[in-house]
Amino acid sequence: MSYLELKNVSKHFGRLTALDDVSLQVEKGEILGIVGPNGSGKTTLINVISGYYSPTQGTIAFEGKKISGLRPDKIAKRGIVRTFQSNVLYAGTTVVESMMISSYLQYKTNNWQSFLNTKAWKKDDERAVGRVVELLKMLDLQNDMNLPADGLSHGYQRLLGIAMSLIANPSVLLLDEPTTGMSHKEAMFVVDKIKKISEQGITVILIEHNMKVLMGVATRVICLSFGNKIADGLPEEVMNKQEVVEAYLGTEIL
Amino acid sequence: MPPVEILIEGLTQSCILMTMAFGMVLVYSILGILNWTHGWLYMLGAYVVFFATTAAGIPFPIGILLAGLAMAVIGILIKKFIIDHAGNELYVGVATLALIGVLEGAATLLFTGDDRGLATILPGVLRLGVVAVSYQKMAVIGFTLVVMAAMYFVLNHTKVGLAIRAVAQQPVAASLYGISTARLSLIVMGIGCALAGMAGAITAPIYSINPFIGMSPQIMALLAIVLGGLGSLTGAIVGGLIIGFMNSVMAYYISYVSEVVLFALIILILLVRPQGLFGASAK
Amino acid sequence: MKHYFKKISLLDYKNIVPKSVIGLFIILILLIPVFTQSVVIVSTLTLTGIWAVAAMGFTLVMRTGQWSLGQSAFMALGGYTSAILTVQMGLPFWPSFFISGLVSGLIALLIGMVVLRVGGVYFAIITLAMGEIVRIIALEWEPVTRGSRGIITSAPPPIVLWGHELVNFDTSLAPYFYFMICLVAVTAVVFWRIGESRLGRTFYGTALNPIMAEHQGIYLMKYRVIAFTVAGIFTGYAGALYTHFLQVITPFVFGFWQSIQITIWSIIGGIGSLIGGPILGTALLYNVGVYLGRTDIPGLQAFLFGSIVVIVIMFLPQGAGLVDLWKLFWTKIVWREKEYKTDEPED
Repeated sequence: MSYLELKNVSKHFGRLTALDDVSLQVEKGEILGIVGPNGSGKTTLINVISGYYSPTQGTIAFEGKKISGLRPDKIAKRGIVRTFQSNVLYAGTTVVESMMISSYLQYKTNNWQSFLNTKAWKKDDERAVGRVVELLKMLDLQNDMNLPADGLSHGYQRLLGIAMSLIANPSVLLLDEPTTGMSHKEAMFVVDKIKKISEQGITVILIEHNMKVLMGVATRVICLSFGNKIADGLPEEVMNKQEVVEAYLGTEIL
Repeated sequence: MPPVEILIEGLTQSCILMTMAFGMVLVYSILGILNWTHGWLYMLGAYVVFFATTAAGIPFPIGILLAGLAMAVIGILIKKFIIDHAGNELYVGVATLALIGVLEGAATLLFTGDDRGLATILPGVLRLGVVAVSYQKMAVIGFTLVVMAAMYFVLNHTKVGLAIRAVAQQPVAASLYGISTARLSLIVMGIGCALAGMAGAITAPIYSINPFIGMSPQIMALLAIVLGGLGSLTGAIVGGLIIGFMNSVMAYYISYVSEVVLFALIILILLVRPQGLFGASAK
Repeated sequence: MKHYFKKISLLDYKNIVPKSVIGLFIILILLIPVFTQSVVIVSTLTLTGIWAVAAMGFTLVMRTGQWSLGQSAFMALGGYTSAILTVQMGLPFWPSFFISGLVSGLIALLIGMVVLRVGGVYFAIITLAMGEIVRIIALEWEPVTRGSRGIITSAPPPIVLWGHELVNFDTSLAPYFYFMICLVAVTAVVFWRIGESRLGRTFYGTALNPIMAEHQGIYLMKYRVIAFTVAGIFTGYAGALYTHFLQVITPFVFGFWQSIQITIWSIIGGIGSLIGGPILGTALLYNVGVYLGRTDIPGLQAFLFGSIVVIVIMFLPQGAGLVDLWKLFWTKIVWREKEYKTDEPED
């Protein structure tokens, strides 16, 4: 039984099939890359794992327990956290404020203790704030802490998005196109950070179009096309497989 | 089976609510805001037709059109000078809510709070066997059918209608095709407010006219939209039908708690289907 | 919802001086009943405070992104509960008062669990309808609420400690004033703690980006219901105090227009602030409304008040409320001119 398992997962929207009988096993500690042309179902896959959608068919299990059909907040509590493609997440807040809102799962004390400002809460809060600063430092955001989040450059906004998902205490991190719109240097920075995140024991699943990033970081790759999983294996194998090349180029190569 | 008179009354109510709800949903789809003043434009429409017919001797049908036109103008002015200058959605809401006070206050100041009665323009009743249906109520029903048909035609067979549907579904893409959202917003606001005014005008001879008659149609129309689903024109019509009938039928059987029961029923429906009958589903 | 919540945090003296100005102001207000016996002044302040509590409740619900147009219903629920318990059922004042807020909160909880699922404009409409329903029930449920005649309540009994009468509500209005101050203070402290704690942050999350918040482990319904219920409790107490202060409650006191006014006071006051905004907005606009209502010309008050609000809205910079203007006043006007001197500003 694997760490995160999808069994025959399909997702239909009326007559549109976004995912078609996808089965997938993710082992703990992996860095799994998801590739595929636009519209192949990559984001839908993440949406289904994170609980934003329920699968029309099939089940998803995490650490042996079924998570498909649960509310997103329940799934996040179990340790699966995702990023979003849009940039401005908590509009009107500063970087630190965004992080503090996202830090909900970082706390071990509860709302009552927080309301009453107990000793236990204060200690927990100190620790959490420390972790926030640590994460911001890791992602080079320590100088922008009190700046409005929507004032950051695109690249830094994406980094903030990653920081916001990390503060939510994930065991599994789902990254939805983390390097889109970034320069090569910025993308390589992200690669380095993903490696560090993996070293901390977090399993990473990332959707990527940037091949350099993918090859640099993924331990395994799957390819989706029209909702089907058409390849599953080591990065070099998958990217050279004929079906994958065809899926991207759309025609047979004579 | 309630007496036919009650069903006719229900239909009449439904027609009023449908017209108002339709206008509200139209405005909401294009402008993205809920205009809280519709009920009070209904009230002013009634006053317009009252003064038009009694003081100026204008024939009733022209009076209705006049009411629609007047309310369209007021609506466009509201949009252009108030809504467009409000900082954000929240402020627009506050502004339109405050306008309720302005409109009701102005009406009270100008026309006093006394009830006015408009003599039934179409007096008499149609007798079908044991049933008596007032011509005026039939006029309401007929008017609504005409309006709905006109709306259907405009939305589906004219350029303006096409533009409206485009902007309602995909505002950005529509603007890329050269549709001026700003001008369209004014047109739609005008149409929506005109509908409210005309609804008030056509109903003026049936019920009394005073500055406070806007509240009830406003709330009922709002509930109709909630029931039907916020972005849906079909929902507005169906919602209006349901609420109109439920209101009359229940008032007949249970009298004063009918609104409470109606509200409870709507809550129950929302429990099962939070987005309304025709509303866009969340997932 | 972009720039609704603004927080400007400044350090050291820049923070302390405006706050001491406010503190001074508060002390002066607390001493007013000592210096004046004027019924008008004391009762106006008392009513302002009562409505400010309702405004704070509205703002708390707004903090979770929900716009409640039915807050006056909770004032009615609190008021009628206390009136019914003391007058119809003959129960002593203090337990009845205590229960009234809880009843109001309970109904907020029950309704909230259903209608907060939909949220957004739907929620505004449903709460509006809810306000009307409460009014209709108050009007029609004659056996319990005495319908349009309303219920006449009596003053709270004197507070006696060890045989000495400390507080007598019948001899002057001052006890009511301090009762209101207590209510406002308790509400302010509770709401302040909520704002400072994880609850407040989580509320922000549910308002700014519910989908994101959900994916970060926040159960949206739970927090929306908490805010709505807490607001319901305190608004209920405000209604109960109102009822015993004016010693009458009728179905006509708390209606749609009152809910609208609560909205207006809170939003113009500034919803970025849970306490200062609503209090400032209510203090200013409620009293403008009362002043405008002095002429008994029907319709004039609504017309003028509505017009003033519309004009104010058009001139308020995006997302800012009166509270933000107060802060802007200090940062732009006072501190720019006088760097290190801390003079009193001309208010």
